[in-house]
Amino acid sequence: MARTPSLARALLTGVTLLGVLGSLAACDAQTSDSTGTGTGAGARSKPRPITPVAGCAKGWTDPSDRSAARRPARCEPGAPAPKPLKKKTKVVVSASTLTAEYLAPLRIGVAKGEFSKEKLDVEVKLLPTPDALPLLAKGDVDVQYAAPEAAVLNGIRQGFDIRWVAGNFTPAPGSKSGFWARLRPGETAEGVSLKDRTVGTLIGKGSVITYPMEKVLSAHKADVDSVRFQQLGPAEVLASLRNGGVDAAWLLDPVWRQVDGDAGYAFLGGQPRGEPLGGLLFGPDLLTGDPDAGVAFLRAYIRTVNTYFAGDYKKDRAFLDDLGDVLKTEPDTLAAVPSLRMDWEIRAGTVDRLQKAYATAGVVEGDPLPEDQVVDRSFYAEAVGHKP
Amino acid sequence: MKGENTAAPAPAAAARPGPGEGEQDGGSAETTLLVRRPGPGERDPVRAHRRRRAIELSLALAVPAALILLWQLAADQRWIDSRIYPAPSTIAADGWQRAADGKLWPDVWATLKRVIAGYALGTAAGYLFGLLMGALRMVRAALEPLLDALYVVPKLALLPVFLNMFGLGEGPQIALVATTVFFFVWISTMAAVMGVAEGHREAGAVFGAGPWQMFRHVLLPASLPQVLVGMRVAAGVAVLVIVASEQIAANDGLGHLIFDSRTLFQNDVMFVGIVCVAVLGVVFSELVRFIGRRLTPWAPRDRGRPQS
Repeated sequence: MARTPSLARALLTGVTLLGVLGSLAACDAQTSDSTGTGTGAGARSKPRPITPVAGCAKGWTDPSDRSAARRPARCEPGAPAPKPLKKKTKVVVSASTLTAEYLAPLRIGVAKGEFSKEKLDVEVKLLPTPDALPLLAKGDVDVQYAAPEAAVLNGIRQGFDIRWVAGNFTPAPGSKSGFWARLRPGETAEGVSLKDRTVGTLIGKGSVITYPMEKVLSAHKADVDSVRFQQLGPAEVLASLRNGGVDAAWLLDPVWRQVDGDAGYAFLGGQPRGEPLGGLLFGPDLLTGDPDAGVAFLRAYIRTVNTYFAGDYKKDRAFLDDLGDVLKTEPDTLAAVPSLRMDWEIRAGTVDRLQKAYATAGVVEGDPLPEDQVVDRSFYAEAVGHKP
Repeated sequence: MKGENTAAPAPAAAARPGPGEGEQDGGSAETTLLVRRPGPGERDPVRAHRRRRAIELSLALAVPAALILLWQLAADQRWIDSRIYPAPSTIAADGWQRAADGKLWPDVWATLKRVIAGYALGTAAGYLFGLLMGALRMVRAALEPLLDALYVVPKLALLPVFLNMFGLGEGPQIALVATTVFFFVWISTMAAVMGVAEGHREAGAVFGAGPWQMFRHVLLPASLPQVLVGMRVAAGVAVLVIVASEQIAANDGLGHLIFDSRTLFQNDVMFVGIVCVAVLGVVFSELVRFIGRRLTPWAPRDRGRPQS
């Protein structure tokens, strides 16, 4: 008696489904997807009036200045003064960690009521970047504390209204957060060859770290194609570097302290000294829906930096205790590494350099996006009263 | 399809006595005989079976096809955001392009290798332990509590342990699949061997079967169908666990493809990975079922026309 064997039936089903999909694909090739192209409205259509802001005469620096000795823009403490919104506005901010030190201006700003002074009700949510990005694009999240990673650029390329509106920090001169290599016998830091070595990373080649990492690799006879990247969890990076699982790794604050001074390891380089690589991303709600709230958010953020993070903020023990409280970190642990240089400005050309690194790493496709489709400096310019 | 019932007059003598019929006045009243015409299934069982199979097959194809078309329509009409939920046509076009460019196969092959290696190891070990524990009471007493305790540990939680044991590479992935598969096969084998009817064992003993003959002619044929059910369930779970594991600690494979494309906000590529995993899971599971049917022709079929 004839029977249809189950495997044959499964294959038949698969072939039919592939046939349906194939037909659809053929149709798809003939029609353009109107929602999948373009780069969104993003930037505000009309420039908003910018008026000088008291206490912010030095609240702006030349974006093309990337020198390591550059002093970040600063207003006087307490400036720019609050300009409360007409009604209380809720702003949802996502971050992939709530304990990282670079997040301190946001956390302290909330704790000290700087956002409340603007009539902003800020809710900070812990969300991994890949999960938060679609929510930012859809408007479920208003602000993402992240970086212009390859995913963000891919999202903008797909037409989502997302812009990088403020920077975050540059490392302090004494910081050794960055690329560390395990030295082989007889090897020196200058003579390390990274070719064919395994590199441990937290995020992968789509992270902004790819940009400084490429610089380090090229200085050590390697490039992104000649090393093996091993994606690891935060807890495994240092352990893998120590037990030989990886030959090099990007170590964050304060993890690098554990190998600093050990002759078996060498610091090969870190984030560029004068160039923030991350910060605040706005979604459509603040970019076009309620730009007043967007400016108010950055005003509060910048005021927090000027008031609490203007210089070496870790010198003040009382403030260090406050910082430890909001970041849920021991103050001594925070004090073990130098203060970050908080910097809300975005340097000119950073996006171009990042895109070049991403293209080399093969994590973005298509032509590079022009900077004005990724960066919007108008929010912090308005907050500090500077006409670019 | 049910046969039709027809009321037909019939001589009383030909009628089967019905309730109360004995009280009738003999020959004075006509008896009504209910005749059920044979249905198509009885008149032409082969044709009826083919027809039913055709309907089943049509449903099996039409339902997914209708869902895919609905999804396509939703994307085209912008009921859903096709940038976040790409249309099936976009997924198919992207998958085809990746396959044509040779970008897809390394990930498929990496996952397949891990699944096959882990599945083979886990099945062999699970069958051996299940057989021993099902057949030997002392072995069961010694190992069952320990294995029961390990069974409830989420297998993905063992990945860091395997990373420490085997380092970075294929070892942790294969070990994770093998461990997952082991428990499914072990439990089904042990239960199957313990469930072999005492009469079968006694028959073997009466014929003087030694341990090997008892295994070969009694335990194996009696337990294999149930063991194969466990192996088929394990086949699906093996794909499931490797995809989860590749998202955490691998540089290739379909799980890594899904995770990586999600990290890069490439939703179309992510869905290509998801579709590939689904196809891989179905094909692998059906392959195990197919092999199982060939190995156990005596077993009742779990799908389609029952054996006569």
